[in-house]
Amino acid sequence: MIELAKLSAHFGDATALRDADLVIRQGDRLGIVGESGSGKTMLALCLMGMAPDSARLTGRLSIDGRDMASASERDWQQLRSRKVAMVFQEPMSALNPLRRVGDTVMEPMLLHEGLSRSAARARTLSLFEEVGIPDPEHRLRQFPHEMSGGQRQRVLIALALACNPALLIADEPTTALDANVALRITDLLQRLARERNMALVFISHDLAAVARATQDIVVMYGGDMVERGPTAKVLSAPQHPYTKGLLGARPDPAMAGRDANGKRRRLPTIPGSVPPLHGLPKGCRFSGRCPVELPQCALRRPAFTQTEASRGAACHLLSEGRHD
Amino acid sequence: MRRLPANFLLGALLVSLVVGIAALSLVWTPHDPQTMSISTKFAPPSAIHWLGTDQLGRDVVAQLMAAARNSMTVALVAVLLGGSVGVALGLLASALGGWIEDGVMRLADLGFAFPALLFAIMLAAVFGPSLTNAVLAISFINIPIFARVTRASANQIWTRDYVTAARAAGRGRFAISRDHILPNIAAAIIVQATIEFAVAILAEAALSYLGLGAQPPASSWGRMLSEAQTLMYLAPQLAIYPGLCIVTAVLGFGLLGDGLRDITDPRLVRAR
Amino acid sequence: MAYFLFRRTLGFVLTLLAVSVVVFAVMNVLPGDPALTILGMDASDDALAALREQLGLNEPVVTRYLSWVWNALQGDFGLSHSFRVPVAELIAERLPMTISLAVAGMLVTLVLALSLGITAAAQHRRAGDWGVMFLSQLGIAVPAFWLSILLVMLFAVKLRWLPPGGFAGWSDPLAALRSLILPTVALALVQSAVLARVTRSSALEVMRQDFVRTARASGLSRRRVLWRHVLPNALVPIVTIVGMQFAALVTGTIVIENVFYLPGLGRLIFQSIANRDLPTVQALVMLFAAIVVTANFVVDLLYVVIDPRLKARA
Repeated sequence: MIELAKLSAHFGDATALRDADLVIRQGDRLGIVGESGSGKTMLALCLMGMAPDSARLTGRLSIDGRDMASASERDWQQLRSRKVAMVFQEPMSALNPLRRVGDTVMEPMLLHEGLSRSAARARTLSLFEEVGIPDPEHRLRQFPHEMSGGQRQRVLIALALACNPALLIADEPTTALDANVALRITDLLQRLARERNMALVFISHDLAAVARATQDIVVMYGGDMVERGPTAKVLSAPQHPYTKGLLGARPDPAMAGRDANGKRRRLPTIPGSVPPLHGLPKGCRFSGRCPVELPQCALRRPAFTQTEASRGAACHLLSEGRHD
Repeated sequence: MRRLPANFLLGALLVSLVVGIAALSLVWTPHDPQTMSISTKFAPPSAIHWLGTDQLGRDVVAQLMAAARNSMTVALVAVLLGGSVGVALGLLASALGGWIEDGVMRLADLGFAFPALLFAIMLAAVFGPSLTNAVLAISFINIPIFARVTRASANQIWTRDYVTAARAAGRGRFAISRDHILPNIAAAIIVQATIEFAVAILAEAALSYLGLGAQPPASSWGRMLSEAQTLMYLAPQLAIYPGLCIVTAVLGFGLLGDGLRDITDPRLVRAR
Repeated sequence: MAYFLFRRTLGFVLTLLAVSVVVFAVMNVLPGDPALTILGMDASDDALAALREQLGLNEPVVTRYLSWVWNALQGDFGLSHSFRVPVAELIAERLPMTISLAVAGMLVTLVLALSLGITAAAQHRRAGDWGVMFLSQLGIAVPAFWLSILLVMLFAVKLRWLPPGGFAGWSDPLAALRSLILPTVALALVQSAVLARVTRSSALEVMRQDFVRTARASGLSRRRVLWRHVLPNALVPIVTIVGMQFAALVTGTIVIENVFYLPGLGRLIFQSIANRDLPTVQALVMLFAAIVVTANFVVDLLYVVIDPRLKARA
């Protein structure tokens, strides 16, 4: 349904997204995980045709068979909200403060599907119920500033669903919310995807949320897709050194306290930090920080090695048959 | 390498031109601006009279230069006068805070109800039109503008750590205002002063045009335009030169002010 | 909300009072002897005494001020010295002219400035933006009266399409309209320069905000996002500036009326200055100042109406 083949986003000499390969079918629930600067947001924006104007796209991006890599803004406007929809990170400022939330959600319906006002209103009400907004009649007429962050996020989800898109992209939907609310939003997204047989792309650096909501996962670093596979398998038995580092860096109560020598256990972290876009290493992008680095890692890009049916990672260790 | 913004450079160029000519007029002009010679009235541009003569035979270039001098002087005095009072009020309001601050700002806001023209009209009706009245009127409207800018900037500085430290060390508010607040808001004030300079030039021209500013025989761009308007059918070129001078001067100071603001804006400085 | 309204209205009334005090003080207290100003140095002592009596100058200042205010509230602005008719009559006669010019000027200004400003913001960093920025910088630097003269020289002297000035009267609406075209254009061009810049920067500020991205992600066209989402939000700070523009509008109207010899309040003021007609000048200055203060007050209230967030806070 949506297919990416070697999709890259170039900014001058730097590449924010490199050779992304992806297939998303109806009903898939995919998680995309990585730090800031990993290219996950760029990927999401590309799926909406909202990459910055200064970005140059190469490769193939097709939606329902139609190549959109070089499509015009007009073409994208046809697809947005109807085929692909997105929920962004900051719910607090993502709604027009001068408009009632009901009107905001109704707008795409009135525009794209030519619904009458009463039909749009009815659908909006049912959407509000679907996303779990209590007292929807009353909420319809409220302004954004009268709602909490969690409620605004629900409104934004309702807005994204307004025209029944085939794909919903959620970019860090829970980052700005507190843990309790975040959990509920995560479950909501999962439920919506299931009930509507809608594809869901869940982008986050919150591994727990991704674990809950997705079937497959892609791990990104420095613009590259470094590992992918079924969520459960990747998170329990990671194959790429970066993924291992990421998982190892999660706070774990069992790790608290002191070790055999009486020394305080420290949270394992990945040394160094993500280099800036134009300072990424030539070979494998994780070189320089990788604990099991080989000499060729800094020189040559690792090819993607498929270890199982729909699973693999881009690492020299794998391609040379040396993995643990 | 630091590159100065284009508007700053262009503004500085125009300003130097205008101020230079105004300063020059103090010591030299091609002719005496007030010498009349009816026989040579409306002369076209020539080697003797570079831009020709007006309806009374006076050399146009000399008049423009003398007018430049008058315009700069009026603007300078008005901005200095109004600016000093305004800055003082702003510092006072910011330093004392509370209802004094509210009161002072309310008072300053009164100034916003009176465009310079209205004030000049009042003074002219009562005391008769004169250059002094024009200067007073323009100074008057500068007071609330500078008071506002000063207070807003000063309020921000008062919250800074080194000021808090000074207060803890027992320094008085007057001393702090003078030693810490003032130097730090100087940039904002200078930017505002440059812009108000442009406004003052425009205001002086308008007042002179209406007869409320420089009185004859003193030269003024505004009055030259008012005289030229009655001669539109005879000598249209006389209406062009003074206007161009006004635009050049106002544009110059305006661009300079914008450029200064770009240079000193902390947000942009950090980005550099 | 009621408390907010009360406070604002109180402030408005107090400002008006303060303005009236300033006007009265400058025109009656400063000069020393208004009778002398009116009759001149050569007047006989008897004439001066008689005038002083007539004007009630022998009363204490405060009483004179209060009676002036009291009368003014009832529409009595005293008698004009030069025209020998009640000032109120003079004002009523010339008010339509001034209002027509001011309203027309404001409307054209708004239309021009808003569309140019929004367009410039949409064309950020491209040709359209630089063009508008440059033109507006020029528009700010050009004096309204010079622009008027240039317009007259082009359209009246050279092309003879429009009259160079004066006003034929309202009886012939077409002629009246033609007399108003150049003045309105001159007024609007100069005013819209400032407003266009403010609109542009306000729009740019708004375009950076998240909800604009949301709107785009909903598949709305760039134009719809601009006019239906950006502009209404950009209006909020613009409205404040429009309020402040009223001072410029008043000045501009007075100047333009004098440039084009339009029989409005602006011309009246200058005729009164020439005639040393103090009561008229006093009334007119008060009127214009009151208009500026009122405009700012209305803008303050409008602010709250437009932005629901402020309404909640009020």
